[in-house]
Amino acid sequence: MSDRGGLAIRARALARRYGDTQAVAGLTLDIAEGEFFGLLGPNGSGKTTAIHMLATLVRPSGGTASVAGFDVTAEGVAVRSRVGLVFQESALDRSLSVAENLSFAGALYGLGRQEVERRAHGLLELFDMAGQWRSPVAALSGGQRRAVDIIRGVLHEPRVLFLDEPTIGLDLPVRRRIWRFIEGLRARNRMTVLLTTHYLEEADGCDRVAFVRKGRLALEGRPRALVDGLGRHVAEFESERPEELEARARPLLGQALRDGPLLLYRWPHEEIGPLAQLQDEVGPLAAGLRVRRPTLGDVFLWVHAGQSPKVPP
Amino acid sequence: MTGRAVLAVLQRELVKMLRQRTRLLAAMVRPLIWLLVIGGGFGAVLTADGLPYQQFLAPGVVGMTMLFAAMLSALTMVYDKESGVMRMLVIAPFPHFWIVLAKAAAAVAAALVQALMLLVLLAALGFLDWHNVSWLMLVAALLTVSAACAAMGMLTAAFTRTLDNFAAVMNFVIFPVFFLSGSLYPITRLPAWLKAVAMANPYTYGVDLLKHALLGGMGGSFAAEFPAAVDAVVLVSFTVAALAVACARFSGESAFQPVIRQITGRRR
Repeated sequence: MSDRGGLAIRARALARRYGDTQAVAGLTLDIAEGEFFGLLGPNGSGKTTAIHMLATLVRPSGGTASVAGFDVTAEGVAVRSRVGLVFQESALDRSLSVAENLSFAGALYGLGRQEVERRAHGLLELFDMAGQWRSPVAALSGGQRRAVDIIRGVLHEPRVLFLDEPTIGLDLPVRRRIWRFIEGLRARNRMTVLLTTHYLEEADGCDRVAFVRKGRLALEGRPRALVDGLGRHVAEFESERPEELEARARPLLGQALRDGPLLLYRWPHEEIGPLAQLQDEVGPLAAGLRVRRPTLGDVFLWVHAGQSPKVPP
Repeated sequence: MTGRAVLAVLQRELVKMLRQRTRLLAAMVRPLIWLLVIGGGFGAVLTADGLPYQQFLAPGVVGMTMLFAAMLSALTMVYDKESGVMRMLVIAPFPHFWIVLAKAAAAVAAALVQALMLLVLLAALGFLDWHNVSWLMLVAALLTVSAACAAMGMLTAAFTRTLDNFAAVMNFVIFPVFFLSGSLYPITRLPAWLKAVAMANPYTYGVDLLKHALLGGMGGSFAAEFPAAVDAVVLVSFTVAALAVACARFSGESAFQPVIRQITGRRR
């Protein structure tokens, strides 16, 4: 099964409209082979629709896209034979066993029972689940079910793997294990991974991320570069009278990002003396001040607020 | 590659059917209740040319078993949509109309297995006279009737969004199709409007073909009412048309519409 060379995913002005709702409004993306790419954004920002269009399940209402070199509209079968998709919801039959589910999934890709068993055992071991081959899916824990779901998605060794919120609702040890698993697969066969997630700390491991807002790409880049672009520090003021505080702080800090009782400011300098000084000046207006390094979560907040996350001059 | 996928869908269907023993038992008991209770009751007052009513009813209950088995199997498509298995199927590397065809094949298999089990049971209980059976006709009838019932099931499944509609499907599809079919009484002497409805029901021709197969030339007014060739043509045509619509309908949201459109000639 050969791929056409070049980009793993190429989308040009990809769009999808549902009635009056523009779920995806002109998405342009280039993802190189072997890249680990994160598509980030709040609920309803169009991430899932974008993935479903790239996996040929939803027909674009505008634009074009190709995956592994094949057009998603005209060459759907060729695309589907080269991609794996782990859906947000489970794609398993709970009334059947792990073995029956995976054999069924494998057969859909033309894999024989023995081949499925050989591959599945190797993959189950990575999740410490080698003993669960005959277990009914209904008897597994949520994390184990998710693991089987992911194994189902990679059983046929896809060139491109789509992960739609793969770790949602799982506890931290399980999430870590899933990421190690994906990391291992990528190292082994240079698989391209397109991920959507809410957990921004998980996206730190991506080669590149893009923030989606209202169906459009709002910002794209390497996670480190995006975080650095935000500034050297983020200052969080806590206040019961945030409007007054904001007016007082504006000359020094510019526009604030409101997050509940918090006012968030970017601070481009390493030296934080002026911030402490400001806290003294505004006195009782500020109940607290915390200065910390920015994270991808901060980038998300700034993008979501519709403000440019670039450092002010 | 698609062949292995279709086999996997078939196998999953049969495994699930055989695992649900109570449902399988119910599928065998339901026709027997009809035969013993309804058949016994009317049998006390009805015969035609020496053919007891219960023997007349035998093709009807064999057909009923296939109708229920195929419809229920096809409706697991709706369950699959909800359970997530449909996600495995839509992302698999073959044209989406194959999902409809594979599920239809599974429904045919379910109907055939249950029909054969019932035929053995009926023969053992003395409701079937082996000497009257036309074997070639029986094979043809089992295949065409199960295919038509499966196609009807896929058509229903394609237009049923959730399992909540399941009761509605039972009441407004399966029961009317069964009652208005000549399973319980010959349709020739029905009032004109009822007869018209029965003749528009493709399943009527299935029951008729089963009468050809199981009653042979017996029965006078209880005998088959259409030529066997007419039955076969109606059943096959209906199967093809219903599957084509189901394929087109099921592919509604997929990016595979162009090919579906080529095959079904359907324009959107």
